Amino acid sequence: MLDSNTRKKASDKLRKIVGSEYITMHETDRILNAHDAWPLSEAKIRAGEMLPLADFVVFPGSAEEISKVLVVANELKIPVTPVGGGAGTCGGTLPIYGGIQLDLKRLNKIGEIDHDSMLIRAQAGVVGIDLEEEVNRHGYTTGHTPTSLRASNIGGFIATRSGGSMSSLYGKIEDLTLGLQVVLPNGSIVETKAVPRHSVGPDLRQLFIGSEGTLGVITEATLRLFPKPEKRRFRSFSFPDVHSGIEAIRKIFRVGIIPSVARLYDPEDAALTFSMNFEFDEGHCMLLLAFDGATERVDLDDNESTRICIEEGGTNQGEGPSKRWWEHRYDMYYPTRLTTAGYAIGDTIDIVATYDKLENVYHSMKKDMEAEDAVVMSHFSHMYQNGGSIYMIFFTSQPDAETAWNTYKRIWDAGIAACHREGGTMSHQHGVGLSRSSYTEDELGSGFGVLKKIKDALDPNGIMNPGKLGLGVRG
Amino acid sequence: MTEQGKIAEQVRMCAACPKMCRHVCPTFFAWRSDAPTPHGRALLLHQEITGLRNIDERGVEVLYQCLECSHCLTWCKPEIDIASLVENKRCDLVKSGRQPSGVNRLANFVKETHNPFGEKHSKRNDWLKTGSLNGPKIIYFSGCTAAYREKSIAQDTISILEYLGYSVAITPDEWCCGSPLFRTGDTATGLKQASHNVEVLNDINAEEIIVTCPGCYRALTKDYPENGFELDKPVQHISEFLNRLVDKLPQGDTNGSVTFHDPCHLGRHSGVYDAPRAVIERISGNPIVEMERNRENAMCCGNGAGLRTLFPEHAKMIGSERVRQALNINANCIVTSCPFCKEMLEAQSERRVAVFDLPEFVMQGIESRNVKTD
Ligand SMILES: Cc1cc2nc3c(=O)[nH]c(=O)nc-3n(C[C@H](O)[C@H](O)[C@H](O)COP(=O)(O)OP(=O)(O)OC[C@H]3O[C@@H](n4cnc5c(N)ncnc54)[C@H](O)[C@@H]3O)c2cc1C
Ligand code: SF4
Ligand code: SF4
Repeated sequence: MLDSNTRKKASDKLRKIVGSEYITMHETDRILNAHDAWPLSEAKIRAGEMLPLADFVVFPGSAEEISKVLVVANELKIPVTPVGGGAGTCGGTLPIYGGIQLDLKRLNKIGEIDHDSMLIRAQAGVVGIDLEEEVNRHGYTTGHTPTSLRASNIGGFIATRSGGSMSSLYGKIEDLTLGLQVVLPNGSIVETKAVPRHSVGPDLRQLFIGSEGTLGVITEATLRLFPKPEKRRFRSFSFPDVHSGIEAIRKIFRVGIIPSVARLYDPEDAALTFSMNFEFDEGHCMLLLAFDGATERVDLDDNESTRICIEEGGTNQGEGPSKRWWEHRYDMYYPTRLTTAGYAIGDTIDIVATYDKLENVYHSMKKDMEAEDAVVMSHFSHMYQNGGSIYMIFFTSQPDAETAWNTYKRIWDAGIAACHREGGTMSHQHGVGLSRSSYTEDELGSGFGVLKKIKDALDPNGIMNPGKLGLGVRG
Repeated sequence: MTEQGKIAEQVRMCAACPKMCRHVCPTFFAWRSDAPTPHGRALLLHQEITGLRNIDERGVEVLYQCLECSHCLTWCKPEIDIASLVENKRCDLVKSGRQPSGVNRLANFVKETHNPFGEKHSKRNDWLKTGSLNGPKIIYFSGCTAAYREKSIAQDTISILEYLGYSVAITPDEWCCGSPLFRTGDTATGLKQASHNVEVLNDINAEEIIVTCPGCYRALTKDYPENGFELDKPVQHISEFLNRLVDKLPQGDTNGSVTFHDPCHLGRHSGVYDAPRAVIERISGNPIVEMERNRENAMCCGNGAGLRTLFPEHAKMIGSERVRQALNINANCIVTSCPFCKEMLEAQSERRVAVFDLPEFVMQGIESRNVKTD
């Protein structure tokens, strides 16, 4: 928290910039805006604990206002935590050192579609579903389909390098973002031009994609669009084990087929997710596929994938499980009595690795996390030519808060250690935030020093989201 | 589990929900903050129940910003009914005198003048013209908005009922139905209205009671009986009543595109979706062109539960958004079935689209037998 003198000075200046209506110091507002969807914050909220609060929540209306806010924050050395939809899963928006929460939800304008180039420009605070529905009206899709689409914002997607469940085909947000507007900590407003490719030095746009508010504030983006696919076909296969399922996926990509969805549920997750509605052998895995595109192309891809799956020992389960998953994909995120009872807590470690390491990462993480009192179930969630991501989902329930939070931490430590040991990377799409902050240096190795130097150069006073992404951690 | 235990369990679940329904909450739309949201409201209640923190003045405001539209409930898998939880809490706040002053003003107007606008009671319906005294007798309970602010709805309703062969009774003793009081937590004052209205309505010899306001409809059919005030004749919303007699209405033939805005109290709260649509289609002669958000998923107009009184600018933003949704589908005409919604949508339409309440739309059909909407 700030001392009262600094708070007063900041309050006067910020009020002049955004207007009194758009800054609040009410404790109620600071509490209700504090948290994102980090499961530890959610569990603490349920347990009746108070989370760290900002001194102010500020709702700027333009890049110019943000620029002025950052100049003031720099002058007074006040921490600034950007807030998008506030639905990140890593505690990225928690204002752990107080200061300003800079909530971008008022930046909600959607520009005109450029039909020739298939692009759209949108402000950072546009909610994902609002953009998707708007482009749908004109026959397009953004191709970005994370399950937080209804809650997260464009800026949040970009700031966390998020990925939709169809990223195999459409790409993650780093592939979908062509141009960016960013306000740097010193207040300068920087544009990176929207071009399909370029050869003018390193791609500065990529520096800010995934920077989680530690290098600046993303205010606008130019995003790619795709014509809505003529056909979307769902297909499912059960497999006797994880290995044969992964082999099938690997071979599908190897022959040049790019499904929009390729998800393999391990036996535990398959049982939980599908056994209520579909009959398949106990202990088997479930592979979900989807193909988007022109009907003839979809037929070809579907037939060839089916041939490969059967060759690898799969049993065709028709469109059922895959289609059902797509139609009910939001359901698992709603609170239930079981998952919110007592001191229950769960989370997902969304690791990523190449095919040569993927299965080892999976088995090692599962074993080591289970050794720490976790129930673990997993699915290989986003697959590509060279490897893919695993949702290592865990759950634990403990008799009291202290044991629960400690167990949660131990499960994370064990999972990340196993992931790193086996050559995996600790996040495919959720980002680092607070939950993975202390592992960042291990993850990036020699690269961490480079990131730190960039941070120091752009944000010498360390005002931007301190404590996240392993940067600006205070003693 | 006790009622209190159930409430505690629900707000505990909702307080830390990953914001699964926030995208449809109209007050989130208007304020673009995580405070006036379903999970925000639940968190306030949860912190009070766990003893962590009492609801302060700003918290009271956040609770009174809720439109009680129940749109969040449509999107909530665990079926947590924020509107009811908020309404319960508002009752406590009123009992302890902690409601916003605007709510007090409203209650005082109702106590003194029997309407929430502070208008003279004597002017409530002395201007309404009834004609034929033949045919079965039905009571028209106009409600306050049609009586004082949207007069053509009331007059057209009487004309339609008479056209259909009824003799319409209106009573100068009609008081506010109490809906604005029930919804803002002043149950005691609401029940005084209920007691009076039940006595007056039960004294009139008639077949049934027709209402045009879904707020009145919910009060008369739900709040009254739940609190022991029983009317001795059936209450029908005008949309249901007209649907029953739809064959007697003129079959229209129009070429404009007509959409229907579902009022929260009629749709989500009372389950009436098909009746108004059937009547509109009869009059217009064409299928309704639906907005993307319709029926259980319809957006609130922003005029509910006192929001327009307490936060007019934000209420108008919500109304404008609903109008935009109609313009998105190129509607020439929005028909609704609630004087409150009609008032808001018309005010925000800026003449880009025509707005009618159902009786007005039907009356046009009767008068012209060829409704032109474009
Ligand atoms: C139910 C649910 C399902 C999810 N499913 C997916 C999924 O399928 N795929 C996926 O990738 N993720 C998923 N997530 C995680 C999360 O929603 C995403 O990571 C999302 O990108 C976060 O966006 P947000 O707008 O909610 O960001 P926030 O939580 O508001 O912020 C996230 C981080 O970015 C920073 N930030 C936000 N906006 C800006 C900005 N404009 N400029 C600079 N920094 C900024 C914040 O400071 C914070 O560090 C899910 C989360 C939930 C709750
Ligand atoms: S009402 Fe339901 S969906 Fe909405 S925030 Fe609460 S629990 Fe989540
Ligand atoms: S009832 Fe309506 S205004 Fe209230 S929280 Fe739910 S969606 Fe929002």
